[in-house]
Amino acid sequence: MAVPVYRKATLVSRKESPRGYVHLVIREEQIARTAGPGQFVMVRGWHTGDPILPRPFDIVLADPLKGVFRLCIKVEGKGTRLLSTLKKGSSLYVTGPLGKSITEFDSAGTALLVRGAGAAAVVFLAETLSKLKKPVYTVLSASTKSRLVCRALLEEFSNDVFIATDDGTEGYHGNGTDILDQLIREGKVDTVYTCGSHRFARHVKALDLAGKVKGYLFLEGNMGCGMGDCHGCAVKKDGQDGYFLVCMDGPVFRSRSVVVEP
Amino acid sequence: MRMQDFSRDRLTSVSPDLSVDIAGVRFPNPVMPASGAYEVDEIHDNFFSPSELGAVINKTIFLHPRPGNPPPRIWETPCGMLNAIGIPSDGAEVFIRDKLPALRRLGPPVVVSIAGETMEEWIELAERIEATGMADLLELNLSCPNLSEGIPWSTEEKTLERVVSAVVSRVKLPVIAKLSPVVTDIADMARTAERAGAAALSMINTYKGMAIDIKKKRPALGNITGGLSGPAIRPLAVWAVYSAHEVVKIPIIGMGGIDGPAAAIEFLLAGASAVAVGMYNFIDPFTMKRTIEGIRTYLAEEGYSSVREIIGLAHVK
Ligand SMILES: Cc1cc2nc3c(=O)[nH]c(=O)nc-3n(C[C@H](O)[C@H](O)[C@H](O)COP(=O)(O)OP(=O)(O)OC[C@H]3O[C@@H](n4cnc5c(N)ncnc54)[C@H](O)[C@@H]3O)c2cc1C
Ligand SMILES: Cc1cc2nc3c(=O)[nH]c(=O)nc-3n(C[C@H](O)[C@H](O)[C@H](O)COP(=O)(O)O)c2cc1C
Ligand code: FES
Repeated sequence: MAVPVYRKATLVSRKESPRGYVHLVIREEQIARTAGPGQFVMVRGWHTGDPILPRPFDIVLADPLKGVFRLCIKVEGKGTRLLSTLKKGSSLYVTGPLGKSITEFDSAGTALLVRGAGAAAVVFLAETLSKLKKPVYTVLSASTKSRLVCRALLEEFSNDVFIATDDGTEGYHGNGTDILDQLIREGKVDTVYTCGSHRFARHVKALDLAGKVKGYLFLEGNMGCGMGDCHGCAVKKDGQDGYFLVCMDGPVFRSRSVVVEP
Repeated sequence: MRMQDFSRDRLTSVSPDLSVDIAGVRFPNPVMPASGAYEVDEIHDNFFSPSELGAVINKTIFLHPRPGNPPPRIWETPCGMLNAIGIPSDGAEVFIRDKLPALRRLGPPVVVSIAGETMEEWIELAERIEATGMADLLELNLSCPNLSEGIPWSTEEKTLERVVSAVVSRVKLPVIAKLSPVVTDIADMARTAERAGAAALSMINTYKGMAIDIKKKRPALGNITGGLSGPAIRPLAVWAVYSAHEVVKIPIIGMGGIDGPAAAIEFLLAGASAVAVGMYNFIDPFTMKRTIEGIRTYLAEEGYSSVREIIGLAHVK
């Protein structure tokens, strides 16, 4: 396992796309060199007491040669708002890479079922699978066309990207899970990763329990530290007592092993 | 070359002595983690070695395994955070087998934090820890609720006295009473713990509070209430230490919102013999290392040869 570092890093570039999402490219060589798919960083771009805790974000891509990595952040509350206004050249404090990297790539076909900021979580995995010449099918869902996230990156690394919008402004007018079900029926995928929607998580878990696919969830949870100190990021185990820690045992979990919140 | 000011030079040329004595145990420096806010593992070892700490401590253990509270367990607040972790615990057996030996191997004195839900549990746990021979000090986390009365052990003087004296009478290990600030007058509780035989005090545990999630229109924490920690509580904690130092002779380990050397020095001047860092470990994993180094620099700059010279110095006589 790559051992995380805590470093002052530099913001190399910042771009908003689509509206309400910022892509930050950050220079920190060790994180860029050691990060793997599924891992995240804790980021702090402030010295204030409010916000005070660092925030967790998935590593969208890491470039070991250039020593940079990329985040895609949905502007939600005060921490993400502050991060979205940082100027190029600003300093940030980053801890990472954190969490377990995905290391099993033996599936015959992988589907990535994502929505909103959840798309950011699977780009690294898509890149890794495409380098291994493993088929990747992405189902990218959003309320409307202008809110599709990380689209270009996912198109670059996937064999196919299927768009689903709630209002039908692009692609399939309806639920992304319908497209997933179709891919499974066609025998194209035996493994599914999902992020960004509780509904998707429940659907994938049901498929996993029915033995139709191996299902995996990228989980979120209020994080204080990202490295096992605070026990804040608990998620209930399914089928046994107790909790996992998202930051140490995840953030990617086999769907049947955890309780999905309604 | 100009003449040097030798009086200053003499003082700064030798590095100040950072060691302190807590209940007969020598801490190489006065900085340790607060229970429940720092793990000893490979991740943390890679930041800096926990062998550099003044002492090490575990997250409070109970006799039997417990799962902890349902999420959300933490919530950020201005200059602090609320937590209602509920102290998940593997129980004494696993702790003694897997975790305690790892703490012992590090080098610094080992403080073992324990809690009981009943009087019998306190005693059994204390005796089992002592029997391992791997602990130097026992810290009683008295903020956890007493099952029969449903309120924390440290809320009432009588209960506090009962549990501290019971443990003290059964073990030879020096006992630290970790006090909850959610009382009318913490100096009274400090005095009570001393009278009951505590060899040192840890002050303070978190303050009770709550937050409401305005999107969900519900309490933010799964447990409804939680404990407030972080810089938000620092002035309250400094006052708690200062007021206890006025009335007890036993050493105090001060904590509450320490984010670096300046805050730690405040506690030392208020009367703490050592300090503990909790929440700030989450924000900057180097906080304890920075604090140790900053205390050393402060002592050198201010012309002190030992940290012991500044303990309680702020008390107006
Ligand atoms: C492992 C992991 C990876 C993540 N990856 C991404 C990503 O790549 N892109 C992205 O846009 N978002 C991601 N998130 C969610 C992101 O961390 C939150 O949106 C962010 O912390 C909100 O901060 P805020 O200050 O803007 O919001 P506030 O609401 O002001 O935050 C207050 C507190 O709640 C916590 N919090 C609020 N919402 C969430 C949430 N959804 N998940 C976890 N904690 C939350 C914050 O960390 C903070 O402690 C990830 C979360 C986790 C746990
Ligand atoms: C997430 C979290 C977990 C804690 N768990 C424990 C615990 O298990 N036992 C204990 O005695 N105190 C526990 N505490 C309290 C701290 O040890 C400390 O007394 C308190 O947080 C004040 O210090 P701080 O402001 O530096 O965090 C915990 C605090 C936090 C924030
Ligand atoms: S975020 Fe602190 S333990 Fe997971």
